[in-house]
Amino acid sequence: MSKILKSSELGIGVILLLLSTALAVTSPVFLTGDNILDILKGNAVLGILAIGMTLVIITGGIDVSVAAVTAAITVIIGKLAVSLHDSGWSLVAIFLAAPLVGALLGLINGLLVAKTKIPPIVATLGTKSILAGATLYVTNGAYMNSSDLPEAFLRFAQWKPLGVSVLILIFFAVALFTWFLLNHTVIGRSVVAMGGNPVSAMRAGIHLQSVQLFVYAYMGCLAGIAAIVQTAYTKGVDPNGFNGFELTVIAAVVLGGANIMGGYGSIPGTILGVLLLGVMQNGLILAHVDTFWQDIVTGAIILIAVTYDVIKRKREEANRAKIEIEA
Amino acid sequence: MNFLSKEWILGYVFAGLFLLMTLFVPGFFEAYNLINMLFQLPELGILSLGMMVVLLTAGIDLSITFLAALAGVIVATLLTNGYSVPVSILAGVATALAGGLLNGFFIAVVGVSPILVTLGTMTLFEGIVLLLTKGNSISGFPESYSLIGNGLLGAVPIPILIFAAIAVILSILLNKTAWGRSVYMFGNNPTATLFSGINTTRVVLWVYLFAALMAAVAAIIMTSRYNSAKVDIGSSYLLQSIAVAVLGGTSISGGYGKVIGVVLAVGIFQIISNGLNLLGVSSMVIDMLMGTILIGVLLINYVSAKRKQSQTA
Repeated sequence: MSKILKSSELGIGVILLLLSTALAVTSPVFLTGDNILDILKGNAVLGILAIGMTLVIITGGIDVSVAAVTAAITVIIGKLAVSLHDSGWSLVAIFLAAPLVGALLGLINGLLVAKTKIPPIVATLGTKSILAGATLYVTNGAYMNSSDLPEAFLRFAQWKPLGVSVLILIFFAVALFTWFLLNHTVIGRSVVAMGGNPVSAMRAGIHLQSVQLFVYAYMGCLAGIAAIVQTAYTKGVDPNGFNGFELTVIAAVVLGGANIMGGYGSIPGTILGVLLLGVMQNGLILAHVDTFWQDIVTGAIILIAVTYDVIKRKREEANRAKIEIEA
Repeated sequence: MNFLSKEWILGYVFAGLFLLMTLFVPGFFEAYNLINMLFQLPELGILSLGMMVVLLTAGIDLSITFLAALAGVIVATLLTNGYSVPVSILAGVATALAGGLLNGFFIAVVGVSPILVTLGTMTLFEGIVLLLTKGNSISGFPESYSLIGNGLLGAVPIPILIFAAIAVILSILLNKTAWGRSVYMFGNNPTATLFSGINTTRVVLWVYLFAALMAAVAAIIMTSRYNSAKVDIGSSYLLQSIAVAVLGGTSISGGYGKVIGVVLAVGIFQIISNGLNLLGVSSMVIDMLMGTILIGVLLINYVSAKRKQSQTA
């Protein structure tokens, strides 16, 4: 119990709870099942990407190319759908190609970061502009709508096993799988170890380059899955649909308590971060607040959350037993 | 003189590209086109210099372009409501400085990491701009204001003169003043700098104020040149300004970077995009090329650093 009270997820959990209570009191719609499912469905893409970004951030890296990778794969999905129109294979092809292409693109980021020691923010900035440029060049920015997508894919998008949209289930499955990976497998523990202290991790026999290759490839693979979810959610392909989305993804991870310098981050925390952004947006809409206020509130909450985190950490440090060091 | 330093290499690339474009791109080496480039380049150049100073302290400023948009919108709102040009500009600069102070306060005083603070303030500034403009653009400025971005002094465009003045002043500030040297020191080793008796909080605070000032100047040039202000003015410059600073030799982990390098890098960006544009290459391909160049330069840096290391070992 005391472990739960001290965890860095607590702060965000409390904010989320307070916000939800306030919304439940003021709006009769908020606490209905439909509305909650809508929030989850609308934020599944953000959630999936944020889960991948959590691993990258734990290793002390960052990936600003996620939005461009996701957009590129939605376009590939669109192209596949058109060329394989309405055979059962188109669904199989999409589900195989999207994560695979994503993982390959992620691997390129991983190679740049791991092998050449280019700072992750710069390396992924470079791949971002290459990919975004290529996507726009290929599509000319043209939008694709549901009439271009195969019937089988549209049926999949509408599928609701147990009354819950399949998109939400994919989000949950990704979260559960990644949580297990991070906490109960060798590669997952290596990710955490590397973030905590790269030198110690190396001396403990962990091959740091492989860990980096893995997290960026995994991020790319999840971007592929997010691209499928996005295409199913909007029933269309918009090559410009993800402009600037990478910063929202990073914001969700950071709100969830991950340390941007590496070493700490958790899947439950990130999900809370995603939910906070989602609930806030939903609440502002339900409360008929001018949409222009949304960014201001989001920005203020990010500032408050990160400041709270730093102040708390400083206080903990001050409370620790002091060791006198002779100069 | 080390003729193989990063800055000299950038110089060779700049000269080589200029020569190539002159020889092979019709219309490149014409007065009209050259002057056009001198009008276009300062916006990105000024933002990149602001970004460079932040990078020198191992920080980053993601809010710089939306702060510019905010300053631009404030100036535009005042101008269209009949305030005089100097008053409007002062108000825009003051707004930007207040934003820079907000960044500086959280980063230098509270100690939150720069990427997080500026991620938050970026969203915040964007929201304020949206609230002020309702997503619309503001236009219709007095003649004297549009002179700043479109005017010529003799045969030289005014924006490039502003850029040149800023580059010279910044170069002096960084190399000849206590603040400038402290910026480099802080970037190399914050703890050692603090223990040398330097008020690091104040040094970092001024860094973000300087970046904010650059945002304001760039905003004034942009709004004046386009004769309008809206939320996404200059937003594409955010990642470009980081790319230019890094291409110009600035170390993203702090401590190294020179004004001349960044100036040459902006020039290289401008020559490439202008030359390819004249050849009819689509702007998307140019984006891809910029990304390739960024990664290419870093790979070259990596290989040459490694070779140097193996020679000394």
